[in-house]
Amino acid sequence: MRSAEALRLLLRNPYGRLGLAILAALVVIAVVGPYATPYGVWQYGVCRPFERPSLSHPFGCDEIGRDLLTLFLYGARVSLFVGFVAAALSTLLGALLGLLSGYFGGPLDVVLMRIVDALLAIPSLVLMIIFAAVLGPGLFNIILVISILSWPPVSRVVRSQVLSLKEYPHVEAARACGAGAARILAKHIAPATLPLVVANMVLQVSNAIIAEAALSFLGLGDPRIPSWGGILRFAFRMGAVSAGYWWYVVPPGLAIALAVLSVTFVSYALDEIVNPKLRRY
Amino acid sequence: MGLPRYAAVRAAQTVVSFFILITIAFFLFRVMPGDPTAFLLESPRIHPLTRELLRRRLGLDRPLYEQFFVYLSNVLTGELGYSLYYGRPVTEIIFGRRMLNTLTLVGSSTAAAILVGLVMALGAIRRYGSRVDPSLTAFSMVTYSIPTFWLGMMLIMLFSVNLHLFPVGGTITATRVHEGVLDLILDYLWHMTLPFVVLTLIQLGYNYLIVRNAMLSILQEDFVYVARAKGLTESAVIRRHVFRAAMPPFVTIVGLQLAGIFSGAVMTETVFSWEGLGRLMFEAVSTRDYPLLQGLFILILAAFLVANYAIDLLYAYLDPRVRLR
Repeated sequence: MRSAEALRLLLRNPYGRLGLAILAALVVIAVVGPYATPYGVWQYGVCRPFERPSLSHPFGCDEIGRDLLTLFLYGARVSLFVGFVAAALSTLLGALLGLLSGYFGGPLDVVLMRIVDALLAIPSLVLMIIFAAVLGPGLFNIILVISILSWPPVSRVVRSQVLSLKEYPHVEAARACGAGAARILAKHIAPATLPLVVANMVLQVSNAIIAEAALSFLGLGDPRIPSWGGILRFAFRMGAVSAGYWWYVVPPGLAIALAVLSVTFVSYALDEIVNPKLRRY
Repeated sequence: MGLPRYAAVRAAQTVVSFFILITIAFFLFRVMPGDPTAFLLESPRIHPLTRELLRRRLGLDRPLYEQFFVYLSNVLTGELGYSLYYGRPVTEIIFGRRMLNTLTLVGSSTAAAILVGLVMALGAIRRYGSRVDPSLTAFSMVTYSIPTFWLGMMLIMLFSVNLHLFPVGGTITATRVHEGVLDLILDYLWHMTLPFVVLTLIQLGYNYLIVRNAMLSILQEDFVYVARAKGLTESAVIRRHVFRAAMPPFVTIVGLQLAGIFSGAVMTETVFSWEGLGRLMFEAVSTRDYPLLQGLFILILAAFLVANYAIDLLYAYLDPRVRLR
């Protein structure tokens, strides 16, 4: 299936359409938003602490008089950036290890699959918290932590597909013609796993956004520019919840939920396209 | 492969997993750039001689492989060291009240989510084609998308701060003298209500989708066709044939989900100040209490490996096809 055709099918599906629309809107907010606000992320005292939303400050203000809309726009950037980059890296890593493990088998396969089993057996957030705590907070570290702990499911599905692909006649024919392992993997096996890899990458995006939010809420995110999860951390620590300052708490959480929901919609639509059995019943 | 042989093979795999994970923990806590002992040893307030003594006492002057074997024997004998923050043995802090609180919260909400999820799936399948299933599927996607900690914050704002129905957090009312055990239990349950609701909600959608999908694919099997052909009512077909066949995959998936539930518990306990292992983990991170963090990690991974093992055995018992593979 060519990518243009896949996109057309995705846009024909109501879930796919809605998901892509929300996602596109959020990406626009993240890219353009910070240029549209007159304030900086650390510019405090532009309004009274915990000021209610008004025309000049539509999202209200935080505990040191920062404009919450500004924080929200910058936060979009961090949340989505970490989500997309970490998802891409972990999918890439998982696909690569899955390809190698499935194609070559042997001791490499045994060792990798034991590591996958071990990592899948325990709560990934616990591992991420511990890794992030030892490495220290930071944008780079959080991307690193999420991507090196999220690849196991991808590698497992790619591996099982490679196991069946490598028995196919066209692969055997290529081998008979004297093609080396690298060429067979790159030309004949990897392209065939692409739909599966893309479907998994979509799932990885929603997982990465959720993981980033949770880690930032625990204080392990980027300390320079707070993401949506980081804003919620401030809100919680500064008592906005127990004081009932809803304008501090509602927008970032809603935005995380919308981002994850839109990605989930896209993934649901992809599932219906790739797996026609679901449409039948 | 018979069941005993399968049990033995899986046991060996579990042991291997355990060694992989504690080896990762060893290198993480010792070799990574932020060496957890560095802030103790490199503090300028500590005299060089004291530092040298401390290094020797902690065994840090030994070669790495020797340190690794000492670590292994410590882990295997349950010697997890002392918490820097509490100054008490790590095992003493973890086993006890903390663990009990987490087990109560996670256990009850998981049971509730399984029960309600099954009922929801049965209801949706019986009226398949009506609006029940699409709306429940949408509900599942929404609950999956909402961050656990944010759901908790919203519930606190609504039910505790605005409506004054539930406490803002904690496990029991610290300022109150409880009259008898019943009073204490009621106070405990009152504090547990909101965290319980959060943890149940985040699991519910997932359980629903799993059972629903399993039952939908079973509905296309030949034995369902036969059951219908012999004149069983639709509800009898679903109850006796579809529902039962959907149970083995459900058991495993609930088992695999345990790890995710615990991740949810970490966030929920943090938001509600519930004095459990999840909250303890958050505190250990905040106070940079590395021995406690390491102890928590080792115990959590041991618990989850054992749980996974037990679930796999149960699945193999329920579905003989698994062990034959």
